[in-house]
Amino acid sequence: MNVPMTWLSDFVDISGIEMRRFTDVMTAAGTKVEGVHTVGALLRNIVVGKVVSARPHPGSGKLRVCQVDVGAGQLLSIVAGAANVMPGDYVPVALDGACIADGKEIRTGDIRGEASQGMMCSVEELGFTRFDYPESPENGIYVFEAQHPLGADAIEILKMRADVVEYEITSNRTDCFSVVGIAREAAAAFEREFTLPKPALREEGGADASAEISVEIHNQEGCPRYVARVVTDVKIGPSPLWLRNRLTMAGLRPINNIVDITNYVNLELGQPLHAFDIDCVAQRRIIVRSAADGEQFVTLDGAERVLDASMLVIADPEKALAIAGIMGGENSKIGDGAQTVLFESACFDGPMIRAASAKLGMRTEASSKFEKGLDPNLTLAAIERAAELVEKLGCGKVLRGAVDVYPNVRVEKTVSYDAGRVSGIINAEFTHAQIEAYLARLGITAKDGAARIPTFRQDISIEADIAEEVARLFGYDNIPTARGTGAPTSIMAGKKTAKQVCEDDIRHKLVSFGLYEALTFSFESPRVFDSLRIPEGDALRNAIKIRNPLGEEYSIMRTQTIGGMLRSLSLNYNRRNPRAWLFELGKLYTPRTDGGGLAVETEVLTIGMYGGGADFFAAKGIAEAIINTVTDTDIDTAADSGLCFLHPGRAARLWVNSGADQAGIVGEVHPDVAAAYDIGERVYVAALNLSKLFDMPRPVKAYRPLPKFPGISRDIAVVLADTVEVAQMRRVIVAAAGQYLEGAELFDVYTGEQVGKGFVSAAFRLDFRAKERTMVDAEVDAAVSAVVESLGGTFGAKLR
Amino acid sequence: MTDKLAELERQCARRIAELAGLKELEQLRLDMLGKKGELTTLLKSLGSASPEERPALGRLVNSARENIEKMLEAAKAGIQTRETADRLSAERIDVTKPGKAPQFGAKHPMTTVLDSLKDIFVGMGYSIAEGPEIETPYYNFDSLNISATHPARSEQDTFYFANGDSLRTSTSPMQVHIMEAGQLPVRAICPGRVYRRDEVDATHAPVFHQLEGIVVDKGVTMGDLKGTLELFAKELFGSGTKVRFRPHYFPFTEPSAEMDVSCFVCGGQGCRVCKHEGFIEILGCGMIHPRVLEMSGIDPVVYSGFAFGMGLERISMQRFGISDLRLLHENDVRFLKQF
Repeated sequence: MNVPMTWLSDFVDISGIEMRRFTDVMTAAGTKVEGVHTVGALLRNIVVGKVVSARPHPGSGKLRVCQVDVGAGQLLSIVAGAANVMPGDYVPVALDGACIADGKEIRTGDIRGEASQGMMCSVEELGFTRFDYPESPENGIYVFEAQHPLGADAIEILKMRADVVEYEITSNRTDCFSVVGIAREAAAAFEREFTLPKPALREEGGADASAEISVEIHNQEGCPRYVARVVTDVKIGPSPLWLRNRLTMAGLRPINNIVDITNYVNLELGQPLHAFDIDCVAQRRIIVRSAADGEQFVTLDGAERVLDASMLVIADPEKALAIAGIMGGENSKIGDGAQTVLFESACFDGPMIRAASAKLGMRTEASSKFEKGLDPNLTLAAIERAAELVEKLGCGKVLRGAVDVYPNVRVEKTVSYDAGRVSGIINAEFTHAQIEAYLARLGITAKDGAARIPTFRQDISIEADIAEEVARLFGYDNIPTARGTGAPTSIMAGKKTAKQVCEDDIRHKLVSFGLYEALTFSFESPRVFDSLRIPEGDALRNAIKIRNPLGEEYSIMRTQTIGGMLRSLSLNYNRRNPRAWLFELGKLYTPRTDGGGLAVETEVLTIGMYGGGADFFAAKGIAEAIINTVTDTDIDTAADSGLCFLHPGRAARLWVNSGADQAGIVGEVHPDVAAAYDIGERVYVAALNLSKLFDMPRPVKAYRPLPKFPGISRDIAVVLADTVEVAQMRRVIVAAAGQYLEGAELFDVYTGEQVGKGFVSAAFRLDFRAKERTMVDAEVDAAVSAVVESLGGTFGAKLR
Repeated sequence: MTDKLAELERQCARRIAELAGLKELEQLRLDMLGKKGELTTLLKSLGSASPEERPALGRLVNSARENIEKMLEAAKAGIQTRETADRLSAERIDVTKPGKAPQFGAKHPMTTVLDSLKDIFVGMGYSIAEGPEIETPYYNFDSLNISATHPARSEQDTFYFANGDSLRTSTSPMQVHIMEAGQLPVRAICPGRVYRRDEVDATHAPVFHQLEGIVVDKGVTMGDLKGTLELFAKELFGSGTKVRFRPHYFPFTEPSAEMDVSCFVCGGQGCRVCKHEGFIEILGCGMIHPRVLEMSGIDPVVYSGFAFGMGLERISMQRFGISDLRLLHENDVRFLKQF
């Protein structure tokens, strides 16, 4: 909301308040100032001059050399391009050293051999348009309509300089979307008097308005009040400068006097008005009714609209004239030939207007006000003000009286409060008298805990609202701070849950492993399933769809996190980053069928890496380390060639708790998938179901005594078929080695000529140790023999 | 005999002076003191001397042996010192060559900022609550006193699913989940993802992060709200930070406020970053609306509370001077490396 300070001062005396203080105090009191701009701030050294003579420029047929009197004794010689100025014209002259709207400085110079000591200005050069100054010529120098003193400040005369303050108005304060509303707040904030002059009308039209027109409301819920006035002998023309200027500064374009008046009153009082050409209203009967389903209507912007029964129209007995509260119709708009005008000042149901405006995709100046819900008691004041302006501008004769249909009058309500509780909310002591004084500044009459709330303050309905009014005038900054604990006995330990501590731990570990944390959106494109080679009918394709997405790309909730990870890796790859190791802690969303809500939100750790020596085992090692960060468990790896987005020979599921629970997956990304994401390198990913892991017990840190007796280690290398998995070998070794086996670590794998095609040599280090004694070689030899024998018996393995 | 011994000692000293290393020294020891060494040979020749001469001669030989042993020992120490020095000298490296950088990654800047916020509030006695991102209309709107016709509910602003549920538009529904749990007094923060229908640009994303805070207890006042958030601001932005509370409007708090902090670029003088206001808006807050307390099963006559909510992207971007929000979701390692 932009309000020129001069307009504000019509209703409150704000003299003697420095601008910085004004904005600070307004902001502190709740009407936040977003900024102040001074219209015409740059304009300087532009004065009234009189053209004394004009002759053609000897060097150019298009230019003229004018002699201009600016009251300085000596005439200025000015070269001009515009042809509209004549000797005797009074014009704005930018002198040597002047500054015009675009910041350009005007200097005495030479134009094609003729001295030019300044510039005669158009309104455009001063930062305005012909909408603001309709008397100005097209593509020409502005010519004053009166003879002003030569050398006087032209900008002052044209009223081109003014401070305009921009306010942020919160949606609950419908009353403050107006100059008067902000003036009321300014008066309260600075403890100055607020005055709203009562319009004085002459009503020279002769007849009674009620004799000329009638108004019927067929939908009272949609339209609680409708007030109309009639103006005859209308003379359409431009509004006077002061009015045009105020509209422009507030951000509106002047159009003609009648339309300008409706806009002016809307800005000043916050009540949108509409004007109809009465000759277009059949039988001069205004009917407020619901639209018919499918009713067609052409709005005054020329667009054809299709309405439905949830919308409200202003109609005559034959046709709709306007979409109520949103926009008028082409069939009744005020043209230059309008002679009799009906002014409408009505109140419409906010939600109804909002819904209609959204359905029609039309958000207008009027609808944006109505949709917030306006005070029906504002309508009469607004139409009186409009009538007053008609008379003031001399653009018509106002008929006697207003036609006012207002079946259920809205009255002030009373809100009761307790001074002690209000003080308690704020943390400062207020007596009844003090509270009453604060409220009085806002136009609220209160006595002994009962406040009568004016109907324009629809936002106040409970005690807490009263507390806010008191607090903001007392000053939020003046409220003494407290220690933030409520009751003094409330001692509370702040801490993270075990799960949250574990999450921190996971992040620290991953960072120390060389991974960077990524953040991706929770949305996916349905095309992700094809990119990831997920077959038709797969559960992963069962995603929750967003009804109103921002486009297909973001239209479903992700059921897997690999897609987002691959997009991030792809971005890195295509920006030629040689190594990208990323992780993300995020959720995936799967449809829920047990009736407990729409989705199961599962927390997942996703790892993705390429370059920098990344391979399957690096990814697997990281995944395993993280699993054991969350919980103490054995981890089994099971190859799974059915993980569609992974390399069929390099894909595995990770099982924990002796195969009871699946913790996640790890693998090399399928080359077709990598290609779909435009990554030209081998990519490795892992995904762990953290929600599941967090349900398991956290690792317990406890000391175990260090061994007292030395152990014995033996290395064995066996040759066996290369189809045998290391995990299988290990299981056989562990089963055969007996109770003293402490560890069996694979330290070398060899394939090649020496072992023959289809075979592999696997070397293990076997560590033996007895807890209470030193072992002897013989028993270790026996255990090793048992291992070799068992490997031989199970896999046909031979000692190498 | 004396002469021979003296000559042997001299000979030993000469050869020591010419020694190249420990191997040669060992050879010299064998030559002198070994089984077939010169001194051993001399000692054997004592057998031909008379019994009267033998003790004196024996002493002479032994004394010579001691001298030679001493010489050899000293020589050994000398050679060892020299060899060590030679080896160390040969092992000289160019210490100005670059160190081997350990490979480590980094937390996302959003996590870094969130961690510092968590630390501040945990230190002030808060716990951290987590909750769903998909909410029913009750939790996302109704329970927060957001009217049925409020524009925040529009399809323009909120992502909906077929059953009428939506992605939460703020972390405020967590206030209600926490209050419904009924563990009073309560002091908690709830960080998390929130969703609004904003197209991606330099300052907007449809997915972003907020941190909600809630305190409910007997006798909580606006003074507690101010004290808490002022302390928080000083912890996060520095002890010299000034805060400003401005009246504002939220349907779920009354009275409501926005908190600004003095601009950390210009310190309040006014600059481009703070749009010449000297202050930067950081969060919204207020006393929990009595109707919200009531709906969550808390008696507003007995209990009161405050709540606050802030956007984390904005704080991260300001803290690290990040100019474009999209950088936070691209995951370019050259960006992530910087934090």
